[in-house]
Amino acid sequence: MRPLSVAWAVARKDLTSEWRTRELVPALAQFIVLALVIANFGFQFDSHNATAIAPGVLWMALVFAGLVAFGRAFAAEREQASLEAMLMTPATPAAIFAGKALAAIILLVACEAVLLPALALFFGVQVNASVVLTVLLATVGMAMLGCLFAAMVARVKARELLLPLLTLPLWIPFIVAGGQAVQAEMGGGSSDQAVALLLDFDILFLVLTSLAARYVLED
Amino acid sequence: MTRYEKAAAGAVALMAVAAYFIFIFAPEDALQHQAQRIFYLHVSSAITAYGCFAVVLLGGIGYLWKESLVADRLARAAALVGVIFTTVTLVMGMLWAKPIWGTFWTWDARLTSTLVLWIIYAGYLMVRRLAEPGRQAARFAAVVGIFGFIDVPIVHFSVTWWNTQHPGPVVINDALPAGMLVAFLITMACTFVLASVMIAVRYRIETLLDRQAEGLHAPAPVIPAGEVSSAPR
Repeated sequence: MRPLSVAWAVARKDLTSEWRTRELVPALAQFIVLALVIANFGFQFDSHNATAIAPGVLWMALVFAGLVAFGRAFAAEREQASLEAMLMTPATPAAIFAGKALAAIILLVACEAVLLPALALFFGVQVNASVVLTVLLATVGMAMLGCLFAAMVARVKARELLLPLLTLPLWIPFIVAGGQAVQAEMGGGSSDQAVALLLDFDILFLVLTSLAARYVLED
Repeated sequence: MTRYEKAAAGAVALMAVAAYFIFIFAPEDALQHQAQRIFYLHVSSAITAYGCFAVVLLGGIGYLWKESLVADRLARAAALVGVIFTTVTLVMGMLWAKPIWGTFWTWDARLTSTLVLWIIYAGYLMVRRLAEPGRQAARFAAVVGIFGFIDVPIVHFSVTWWNTQHPGPVVINDALPAGMLVAFLITMACTFVLASVMIAVRYRIETLLDRQAEGLHAPAPVIPAGEVSSAPR
């Protein structure tokens, strides 16, 4: 099988199983709304400071929702030892990894479809096309890294401890560039440079995670 | 005295030499007075930490490529020493910032990325502790070590890429007077020797720990951690 069709098959498997159980996305959507409620109590919001605080709330909610999502990404594989079965097929580990990452990206985008409208509704900030683009670009890179480390810790005892510890520091480039971009977009500035930086990080981590996939997936 | 004890004593003596150059030889700064003397060890530790993390990177590549245990042990040793030198850099930087900037900490790109560097390699050490010892821990740690190194150039160029409170490079920009430059270069060299000795000692400890782990199933005598330095080679 060609790598692309392997990746698509793996992604479709994950998405089908999510569609049948409908566990992760509804739980994460609730999680995101709760995060916004907590932010409302933590900050003193008014119409003047909303554009300054909302970007921070966005990234906080997204990062922690992402951690929960990636913690689950390999749960089914672990419980049924199906990763070993997939690796026994002639499919390359990089293609299997790409499929897992693709499914994770799509699930996270589904959560963002709740997060961004909720942010616009509750905090009265403008969520335009460039905000959506920025968040999507960050999602791609974050999902690559998140999936790689999720695969890695899936076989470790203390995986709940390790996943945030490993993933969060390496997500920081995306938060830095994405944070700058969203601040500029919500505040009415130019975000071109930050979005370009985000794209650079995406390409860098796309290459690195594909190279590393073999060492992480194979035992 | 073992080879390691001699090397350790030599490294400590060299640090005393560096102290002479820092506190007595180097001229006093016209604006910052005594506080500026933090510069020598602060910058040396930072560059040494970069060096240690480069060893972690190369060790990780070496392990993934050739499954070389030597490379893996070297990476383990260098990660620990690198975290120590990053800690020194951060603490000395904060002590310097208080009198000069009026605050211990500011969320500037250099400071933030250095803190992230510390967290990444502290995470590396956690992976080593939490993953199953042997192949799994070594592979996972190698991946973390390779990805983590991305932060090193970010730390280094942060002062050029962003507007930072932290000053830009002074040494390569030839902004130091001769006396200060000499003191800096000597401190730098001594810190490098110290780090190399620390890595060598830690490498020896890791070798013994590996041997101990292998011997756990066999009824071989176990070497207690305290006696590591005097153990026969």
